[in-house]
Amino acid sequence: MVICIVALVVFSILGIGSARYRPAAKEAFKCVFRMIQFKPCNVQLEEKIKSKLTAKLMKAPRLASFTYKNFKTISWIFTIAFFASLVYSAYGIYNLIVYGSCDPNSATCRVNQFLQIIACYEIQMVSLIIVVAIILFAYFMIKKKNIKFVFE
Amino acid sequence: MFNVNKIREDFPLLKKTSIIYFDNACTTQKPKQVIDAIVRYYSEYTGCAGRSLHKLATKTTEEFEKAREKLAKFINAKKIEEIVWTKNTTEAMNLVSHSFKFEKGDKVITSNLEHSSGLLPWQLLAKKGIIDLNFVLCNKEGEFNIKDFEEKIDNKTKLVSIIFASNVTGTKAPLEEIIKIAHDNGALVLADGAQAVPNFPVDVRKLDIDFLAFSAHKMCGPTGMGCLYGKYDLLKELSPFMLGGETIRDADLKDHILEEVPHRFEAGIQNYAGAIGFGAAVDYLSKIGMKNIEDYEKELAKLLVEGVLKIQNLNLIGPKDWKKKNALVSFNIKGMEPHDVAILLDESNIAVRSGMHCAYPFHKFIGFDKGSVRASLYFYNTKEEIKIFIEKLTNIAKTLGK
Repeated sequence: MVICIVALVVFSILGIGSARYRPAAKEAFKCVFRMIQFKPCNVQLEEKIKSKLTAKLMKAPRLASFTYKNFKTISWIFTIAFFASLVYSAYGIYNLIVYGSCDPNSATCRVNQFLQIIACYEIQMVSLIIVVAIILFAYFMIKKKNIKFVFE
Repeated sequence: MFNVNKIREDFPLLKKTSIIYFDNACTTQKPKQVIDAIVRYYSEYTGCAGRSLHKLATKTTEEFEKAREKLAKFINAKKIEEIVWTKNTTEAMNLVSHSFKFEKGDKVITSNLEHSSGLLPWQLLAKKGIIDLNFVLCNKEGEFNIKDFEEKIDNKTKLVSIIFASNVTGTKAPLEEIIKIAHDNGALVLADGAQAVPNFPVDVRKLDIDFLAFSAHKMCGPTGMGCLYGKYDLLKELSPFMLGGETIRDADLKDHILEEVPHRFEAGIQNYAGAIGFGAAVDYLSKIGMKNIEDYEKELAKLLVEGVLKIQNLNLIGPKDWKKKNALVSFNIKGMEPHDVAILLDESNIAVRSGMHCAYPFHKFIGFDKGSVRASLYFYNTKEEIKIFIEKLTNIAKTLGK
């Protein structure tokens, strides 16, 4: 379900230039709209994305199998990465407007280097994503294998 | 002689695309002959049947009634008037359930294998307290339990409503036997023939069936068109649940005189193009021969069932013996959702259906709570297509299944 948030943004942007993606954007919107009302998504967009993505990977069976079986984890990672990059970008833009630099503490990031906003935070972002991915992956694996921890 | 490649030439969609269409239990493709008949009505003689007297209306009436005649002949009905136009099988089933003169305490027997259209109309009556609804429990392979039926039927049973050929398991109900037992107990039989009439010869007189419902779109005809066959005297006994234009002979502010059967059941402007298209579909099937269609579909069923049984991680619903089935398989792949399998097959240009197939109770009964994938074939499908389907499905099951 969480992948619908990413799908909404991605398909909406793609939909500006191509009518092909507009129905998918509408479906994603329906899904997100239901999600904010705490209702389950009923447009099966996640299933469609999962299956279509897996179908594209069928030439590499191991990768296809991994994607299919761990799609929930992957979609969480994508969603968190999406929000993390959104927050970092917003933070960078805020700094750029207020202080004239996307990272006032860094000497490498200047006003005229607007396109480097992401690059300024690249290392922090990647580290954060990796940590979150590991946590999520471990969580889903524990859940999947039904491993229980006993604390005395 | 049956030549599938020649037959495929008649279907514009099959000619134009490379799609492998295995969703025929849902709806079939339409041959050029049917499309042309519909286009002819709209482009050459659009009018209202049975109302106006001008040339166009007369031609429409002629063609509309001719289609009825073709259908009567197709199922070997005794009279043309025994064919009532409906918009689909569901409406035909509802026509009986709403028009049959039940008395409180009357019993209706149906089965756990029914399509929603053969179950919900009776549930509605049972909830209103009009009938007592009883069920024959088919086994997990979808085979009708005659012994259970014999135990449940009694002199309070007024109607037995049974699916002739299942849209999930592909199995056929022993209708002749059911009808005999029902008649011996004074009950009438309504059969849902949606998956039967398109696939093998059905002779209503030989079966001695009382009511039979089926749809045009599952037998190469247009969508939104169906039919109810009923024995003439029984149709006369029904009390129409929907009245309007063309259903009456005369009316004043307080009362009306009903039109004869079947027109009393056909309220308002009818789907003329649909009926004419239905007639053209029946002509088309008759030309090929229903026996030829049945024989060819048996060959397909053999190849299909034997093929899917070889696939690891696959659970087949219904009997494993292809002789007991139509050319239809419903299945699940362990570790996969039915919709995922369907989408993955669609990516390979293979159209199948996934979900509950409007048979919720049976899916729950066999423990397939999320439904199943269904591949249903028709006489224009080829053995080559089955091979490709099996190959793709094997790959999916092997790569993504448990």
